[in-house]
Amino acid sequence: MKLRTLGSVLAVGVGLMAGAAMAEYPERPINMIIPYGAGGATDISARTIAEALGTAAGTPLIMANVTGAGGATGSVAVQNAKPDGYTMLFARVGSHSVNPAMKATLPYTLDDFRFVTVYEINPVACAVNPNSGIESMDDLIAKVAEGGVTYSSSGVGSLLHLAGAMVLKEFGVEDPLTQATHIPLQGGGAAATAVLNGTATFICTNTSALANFVANNQLKALMVTTAEPVVGFDAPTANDLGKPRLNALVGWTGIAGPAGLPDDVSAKWGDWITEAAQDAKFAETMGSMGSVIDVMSPDEAIEFINNQYSVFRALVDELGMRIEG
Amino acid sequence: MSLMDSLAAGFSLVGNFEAFFMLFVGLVVGVVAGAIPGLSATMAVALTLPFTFAMTPINAILLLLGVYKGGIFGGSIPAILIKTPGTPASSATILDGHPMAERGEAGRALGMALYASCTADAVSNLALILFAGWLASFALNFGPPEFFALILFSLTIIAGVSGESLLRGALSALAGLLLATIGLDLVYGTNRFTFGNPNMMGGLNFIAVLIGLFAIPEIINMAWNPMAHLGRTRALGKSRCSWADYKNSFKAIIRGSMIGVFLGSIPGIGAAPSAFLSYSEARRTSKNKENFGKGEIEGVAASEAGNNGVAGATLIPLLALGVPGDVITAIIIGAFMVHGLQPGPMMFVLNVDIIYGLFIGLIVSSVFLLIVGSVAIRGFRFVADVPKRILMPGVLILCIYGVFAVNNNIFDVGVMFVMGWVGYIMMRNRIPAAPFLIAFILGPLLEDNFRQAMLMSGSDPSILFRGPITWFFWFLTFVTVFAITRSTLRKKVPLS
Amino acid sequence: MSEKTLHLRLGIFTCLVALFLIFYAIPSFVFSPSNVGNIILSPLFWPYVLAGLTVIVGLGLLANALTSAKDTPFEDDETVHPEGSAPWMRLGALAVIMVLVMVGLPTLGMVWTAMLAFAACAFLFRTRHPVAAVVCAVIVPLLLYAFFAHVAGVAIPQGNFVRLP
Repeated sequence: MKLRTLGSVLAVGVGLMAGAAMAEYPERPINMIIPYGAGGATDISARTIAEALGTAAGTPLIMANVTGAGGATGSVAVQNAKPDGYTMLFARVGSHSVNPAMKATLPYTLDDFRFVTVYEINPVACAVNPNSGIESMDDLIAKVAEGGVTYSSSGVGSLLHLAGAMVLKEFGVEDPLTQATHIPLQGGGAAATAVLNGTATFICTNTSALANFVANNQLKALMVTTAEPVVGFDAPTANDLGKPRLNALVGWTGIAGPAGLPDDVSAKWGDWITEAAQDAKFAETMGSMGSVIDVMSPDEAIEFINNQYSVFRALVDELGMRIEG
Repeated sequence: MSLMDSLAAGFSLVGNFEAFFMLFVGLVVGVVAGAIPGLSATMAVALTLPFTFAMTPINAILLLLGVYKGGIFGGSIPAILIKTPGTPASSATILDGHPMAERGEAGRALGMALYASCTADAVSNLALILFAGWLASFALNFGPPEFFALILFSLTIIAGVSGESLLRGALSALAGLLLATIGLDLVYGTNRFTFGNPNMMGGLNFIAVLIGLFAIPEIINMAWNPMAHLGRTRALGKSRCSWADYKNSFKAIIRGSMIGVFLGSIPGIGAAPSAFLSYSEARRTSKNKENFGKGEIEGVAASEAGNNGVAGATLIPLLALGVPGDVITAIIIGAFMVHGLQPGPMMFVLNVDIIYGLFIGLIVSSVFLLIVGSVAIRGFRFVADVPKRILMPGVLILCIYGVFAVNNNIFDVGVMFVMGWVGYIMMRNRIPAAPFLIAFILGPLLEDNFRQAMLMSGSDPSILFRGPITWFFWFLTFVTVFAITRSTLRKKVPLS
Repeated sequence: MSEKTLHLRLGIFTCLVALFLIFYAIPSFVFSPSNVGNIILSPLFWPYVLAGLTVIVGLGLLANALTSAKDTPFEDDETVHPEGSAPWMRLGALAVIMVLVMVGLPTLGMVWTAMLAFAACAFLFRTRHPVAAVVCAVIVPLLLYAFFAHVAGVAIPQGNFVRLP
C-alpha cells in the first residue's frame, strides 16, 4: 500500500516537473539569499522590498538569511547555484565592493555575479562622541596628528573599516593605518556603542545606523559623504568640505544572480524592480530608515559597482590594506 | 508630565483589546517557535517583524516582545523532554531538566521551568521599570577591558558544571575554545583553520554545535543499546511542581533573576552565559550540591531564571541608550525605527506614552506567559509518552530541519552530525559537554575583547586593570579560583 | 574502566593533540599577515595559548593518573555488552545513514531524505512498532516540511527529482 502511494506521489511529481520545463520564468517561488543576519540593514531592506517584488513577479520570494564571514558565506551559496534565476542574492556594499577590494582570500570576485539592479543608496556619515571636544573634521584631523585616535567598525572588510581609512586619507592624513587605530567590533550596533562609551574616537557608517544616536544628541555628526545634505544630520556634506571624491563612499543594496544568468531573466528583474519601487509602503519604510531609493537598470548597476570597486581598490592598494593569506 | 499623567497616557495606548491580544499572540508564537529546536527566539522575532510594519508602534513592539519572551521559555520544553535545547539559552536547563524527565518527572521539571521563568520575567521587568536609567549608564562603562574581566570570571563557571572531574571538565572546555577559533581572524581578517572552505569562514554555527553536542549523542547511544531505556518510567505521569518545590528553589530563582538582570543590561553577553552562571551559583550555594547534574529541580529553576531574567533587562540599554544588547533587540530596534521612533534618552521625553505603554504591557506579559506556558506544557506532554525508539528518529529528523533552518545551509547539518560523534565519544569517556559549550560561547568573546583592549591601549596590558569594574571582576575571579583550588585539594582526591 | 586508565589514555591523547597543534596544525592552517606590530595581536597568539593550555591539562591528566586516581572501575561501568559485536555494527550503520543523509539532502531533497532516514533509524533501533514507525516516517517529515516551508518561510532543499508544492 505504501509503495502504491509513493508511486502516485512520484507520478504527480514527474507531471509537475514536465510542466515546469515548458512554463515561462518564473513558474515557482524564487529563493532570495540575504548574506547578512536577521534584523540588519540589508535584511530589513530586503524584506521590505520582497512583498512588492513578489507581486510584480507574480510568484512569492522566499527569503533565506545565510550569514557568516562578512557576507561571503551567502554570496558563495549564490555563486555556486544554478544560474536559472531561482536563486538570487541581495548584495550589499560590504559583500560586493569592500570585500572584493580588500580580501585576496575571498572565494569569489565581482565577475562571478550578474547584477540585475541596485535599488537603494545609504549615505555615510562620520560621528564622534559629543564629550570628546571634537566639533569638526578639522578638529578630528588635528587630533589624529596628536596620536591615539581610534575608529570602530563592524569587522575587517566592512564598509566601516574602509570608510574610516578613506575619510582620513582624503582629509590629508598620510598613513591612516598607523596614525589612527582600527578597532573591529562584533557588528554595527557594537561599533556605534564603542564611540558612545569612549572605546573608539570616531565612526563612519550608514546614516541609518547613526540616526537615533544623533537625534538623541548621544553622538555628533561631523560630515556626510553625499553631495546633498541628509535629513536629521546637521553636518556639512563632503562637497561643502571640498572633498567630492568621498561621494563614492556610500552604502547600497542590490540584487544579483550567478554569472551565467540568462538575458531574459535579467531583463525581467529590471522590470519587476522598477514596478516594485513604485510601491508607496516600500518608499515610506525605506525613507524612515534613512535610505535613498535609486533604482538602477542592470547596466547602470554594473557600472556603479565597478566604479566604486575601482575607487576602493585603488585606496586599498595605496594604503597596503589588502589581506593576503 | 507627572508619573500619573505618564501612566494614564500609557494606559490609553495599551488599554484596548488589540494591544493585549497582540502580546498574547506573540507569546503563543514564541513558545511554539522556541519549542522547535533550531527555530530560535531570534528567528521567530525576525520572521514576525515584517507583519508588524502595518501595526501601530505599541502593538508592533508588544507583539515582538511577546515572541521574544515566549521563545526564551519555549526553548526549555524540548531541552527537558528530548535533551535538545530549543534556544541556546535553554542549554543549561538540560543539565538537570533532562535527567528529571528520564526519571519520570518531566511534569515537575516543566512546571518549575515555567514558574521560574515567570518569576524571573517579572523581576526583570520591574528592574527595567525602576532602574533603567541607572543600569544603562552603568552598562555604558563596559568597554573591552571590563568585558574581558567579566568573561574571564564567567569562565570559572566551568568548574561548576564539570561534574565528577575538574580535569576532564577543563579538557572539554579547551576543546570548545579550540573549536571556536575556526573562522576569520577578528583584527586581520586572515583564515584560521578554514581549509579554504567558505562555509567555515564564518566559524562553526553555534546552534549546530549545540544540538550536535546534546541531542545527537542520545540518538547514537540508542544505536549502541536500543534496550537501555526499557524498564524506566518516562511518562509525564502525575508529577507536578509543588508549592514546596517552588519555595525551596525561591532563593535560586531570585539570585538567577538578578544575574539575568545584570548580564542583560550589559550589551553583548546574552542569555546563555547568564543561565550557566545562575546555574553554577545555585550549585555552589545549594544544600543538595551533590545532586546537581543528576536531576535536581533547583538546577532547572536557576537556569530558567537566569535566562528569562535577561529578557526584560535587554530592553534597558535599548530604551535608555538605543543600544541593542543582542541580536533580538537589534531586530526590535529595527521595528522602532520603521515606525519613526528613535530609542534613546530623548524617547523618555518625546514618546513617554509609548514607554509607559510598553511598561504596562511588560508587566502583563509575565502573567500571560504563565497562562500560555501552562497550556503549552499540557500540549507537549504527549511527547514523553511516545515510544523512545520512534521518538529518537523523529528527534533526528527535527534536528536536521531545525539546524538547516538556522542559516539555510546544508553544511551546518554536517557540522551537527560530526559534533554528534564528538559528543558521543566525550560521553563514553565521561567528559562533560557543558564546559565545551560555555567555552565555545565565551572563548571568542574573551579573545576579541582582549585584542580590542590591546588595540585601544597600544598593547599596554595595564588597561585590563583600568577601573573599579575591572578590579571587581579580577577580585571575584581570584576568589573563585582560590575557592575551587582549596575545595578540590581538601577533598583528598584532588582534581577528580 | 577505572579512572586511572581513563585519565592515562586521555592524558596521552591530549598531549599528542597539543603537539600536533603546535608543530603542524597552527603553523599550516592559521595565517598571519607579515606586518603584525605586536606579537599579542597576532592571529597566532590565541591558538598558541590554547595549545599551551592543552599541554598543561594533558600533563595534569597524566600526573593524576600516575598518582592519586582511583584504580577501581566506575560504579555504573558497562562491563561486557551482551550482544558482542552487534552494537558496533549499529554504530557503523548509523554513521553510514548520516553520510547518506548529507549526500541525499542536496540531490533527493530534504523531505524524501528525512523519510528514508527516519525509517532506517527506526528499524536500526529495532522498534517494536514497525507499522507506526513507517507511518511516522512518512508523516513527520511532511508535517515538518509544511511547517518550515509554509509557516516559517524557510527554503527547504527540494532536490532534483520531485518537488513539493
